[in-house]
Amino acid sequence: MPRTSVVESPGCPPLRALTTDILGLIKVVEARTKPAGVAKVVETWGAPDAPRAVLAASLADRAVDPVLAVARKNGVVELLNPLNGETLAGVNAAAGRAAPADSSAEEDPLATLHLFRRHALDSSMLGTFLACTEKGKAYVKSVAKENASSDMAVGPSSSWDVSNSGTVQFSSVDAGESYAMFGGKGIEVNLWDITSCSKIWSAKSPRGNSLQIFTAPWFTAGTFLCKDDHRKIVACTNNHQVRLYDTASQRRPVISVDFRESPIKAVAEDPNGHAVYIGTGRGDLASFDMRTGKLLGCFVGKCSGSIRSIVRHPELPLIASCGLDSYLRIWDTNTRQLLSAVFLKQHLTAVVIDSYFSTEELEETKSKQPDPVGAEVRKERKEKKNRTSEMDEDETRMLDHDDSDSEMHTSKRKKSGEKSKGMKKKSKKQQVA
Amino acid sequence: MAKERKRRQPADAPPPGDDDEGRDHRREKKPRKERPDPVLPSQIKNKDKRKEVHAKLKREKKAQKRKLARERGQAAQRAVELGEQPPEKLVPRTIENTREPDETVCRPDDQELFAGNDADEFNAVLKQQTTPKVLITTCRFNSGRGPAFIEELMQVIPNSCYVKRGTYELKKIVEYANNRDFTSLVVVHTNRREPDALLIINLPAGPTAHFKLSKLILRKDIKNHGNPTSHKPELVLNNFTTRLGHRVGRMIQSLFPQEPNFRGRRVVTFHNQRDYIFFRHHRYIFEMKENKIASKDKKAKTSESKSQPEKQVICRLQECGPRFTLKLLTLQHGTFDTKNGEYEWVHKPDMDTSRRRFFL
Repeated sequence: MPRTSVVESPGCPPLRALTTDILGLIKVVEARTKPAGVAKVVETWGAPDAPRAVLAASLADRAVDPVLAVARKNGVVELLNPLNGETLAGVNAAAGRAAPADSSAEEDPLATLHLFRRHALDSSMLGTFLACTEKGKAYVKSVAKENASSDMAVGPSSSWDVSNSGTVQFSSVDAGESYAMFGGKGIEVNLWDITSCSKIWSAKSPRGNSLQIFTAPWFTAGTFLCKDDHRKIVACTNNHQVRLYDTASQRRPVISVDFRESPIKAVAEDPNGHAVYIGTGRGDLASFDMRTGKLLGCFVGKCSGSIRSIVRHPELPLIASCGLDSYLRIWDTNTRQLLSAVFLKQHLTAVVIDSYFSTEELEETKSKQPDPVGAEVRKERKEKKNRTSEMDEDETRMLDHDDSDSEMHTSKRKKSGEKSKGMKKKSKKQQVA
Repeated sequence: MAKERKRRQPADAPPPGDDDEGRDHRREKKPRKERPDPVLPSQIKNKDKRKEVHAKLKREKKAQKRKLARERGQAAQRAVELGEQPPEKLVPRTIENTREPDETVCRPDDQELFAGNDADEFNAVLKQQTTPKVLITTCRFNSGRGPAFIEELMQVIPNSCYVKRGTYELKKIVEYANNRDFTSLVVVHTNRREPDALLIINLPAGPTAHFKLSKLILRKDIKNHGNPTSHKPELVLNNFTTRLGHRVGRMIQSLFPQEPNFRGRRVVTFHNQRDYIFFRHHRYIFEMKENKIASKDKKAKTSESKSQPEKQVICRLQECGPRFTLKLLTLQHGTFDTKNGEYEWVHKPDMDTSRRRFFL
């Protein structure tokens, strides 16, 4: 009989993660102790209400006024302040204005949501999101602040049909935020240009096997592999395959790897540009190197329910995963060790990480306890931090603001293309070496 | 004498390896006797000797235990005689009461739990908005004790009906049951003519629980069994403490009608102990019976008997219906779908790192 041996989890560095669940609650989990500590639930926002279950969530993770968007079951996309949980706006994605739930949401619920990270052009806008329903209607919408005139609030918006048949199960937007990818049950992976709402590329299913057996496409998760290259796509199938597509070279997958025997439900990319993390319907979490298609390793530890969402911390070597076993788990990506697990009582649907969280600011706000100034301080600090660390990115952003919309995209695309070419050459050289 | 010494030598000697010369050994013997003997029986190589030492140790331990128990008993008796509070009874340490602390255990003051209950799939049945209607079917090749088990299961679960499996896929049967407004589907799986698994599917969209079924004893094999009536049974769910256990308990609860017929005096018990769910089915009766203990001290009896009848209500149980044990293997989100299914809970071997961790 095995002896009892409790392996103490080493605890995770200061971190702030927000999870959403099927009761429509948003829970904030924070680890505050400096070198390593236990993550705990700090706040819970919202009242438990099943029809307002959160289906998808997205965080515009920036230093200045970050916004959290959640897609609810009744078809409403809510924008919240991720610092204090204030509801900033609620928009019915299908109807176009802040309307209560209608019957269309029941038969065609929202499947995916992405909130654009770049700032809106004028300050009256809260943010722009891309949402897609299960039947393949994609919407891009801008949401204005509450105090702006209400009817004009919904700014530039567009909608298009991703597909006519099948159900959309995932969408992903690349780092430059000009391309979106969709896929689902019966839908091959599609790449769309968001500005022109046109389909650029679609995948082709792989050839039948030696028995000429052909499996219908069923994609469950996908992501762009590199930050600066929108042409490498990792898509995971219900048929437990991880596939790498290169839209520049061919329509069939470049690499296809099998992983165990249950459908893959979530995927997240690593900022290093070649690793991905996948989670399956039986609660297996693993990382793959997509250059070779090799399994780097599994994240083992009592994870017993389907994984619905994985996020990589942009700076620290951490991933957070959550799913039907109601635990938020934080893992180290280097050692693949469980750092912390938080029990959150409900089936979780999504997790996002607020990367601009640090403990110093927390202490400051604590000392100045009941004040709105704390947030301001935090913002300022973050701005500074951001400027020093990500100077070049900010510059590009600034440029973007000045340019008109269409120009911005063309310039960006060129840039990304150049960059990616450079990268490619480099990688080839490396391979040769 | 010499022989004895030789024999004793290995027993008293320190573990082999630092065995000294014979003379030194003999001289040192006396001081060594004073310190406690560090030799474990397992360190003795000679089997006969080892047995002997082991038996001696065991005897000593037993005697010690008996002595302590006697002392405790005497203390308790003395306390009673003096009219004091008797010392508290010691609670034996078991695997269950040394269970590892678990954060998923439900607390009665948890508002989120109740909100979750109101939103879950079993709510319609448990709030008596719909009456449960159960379809029972089998695996494709059903023989041996399977049919007999199903017959008894149908007597246990009211409003249940059996549908022959034929060669239909389970997904088709789920569809069929959905069209006919069944609330649950129970599949008894037999292997080698012996029922070995139970699948409970909540309909239309609810979770699917896959149980291992073992220790099945049918009614006719139970001594002094009774035959159940067709009253709606009372339901006893014991020890479903964690979130997962709570969910499984609610799932089992939703198989049965929620307003029991107390006149029937029928109880169905699902008792969870160390993640094994024990099923029992009883009839009970309350009977008046003469109190035999009261006859010991007649004086007290005579004084009491005038005011009260010397009768006592006792409860008698009669077991009827099958007896079996379930163990949860998986809990799947949605109806039965092994290939594309998402699991809420899967038992994995790496969870079995401790005997004192339980999931239900």
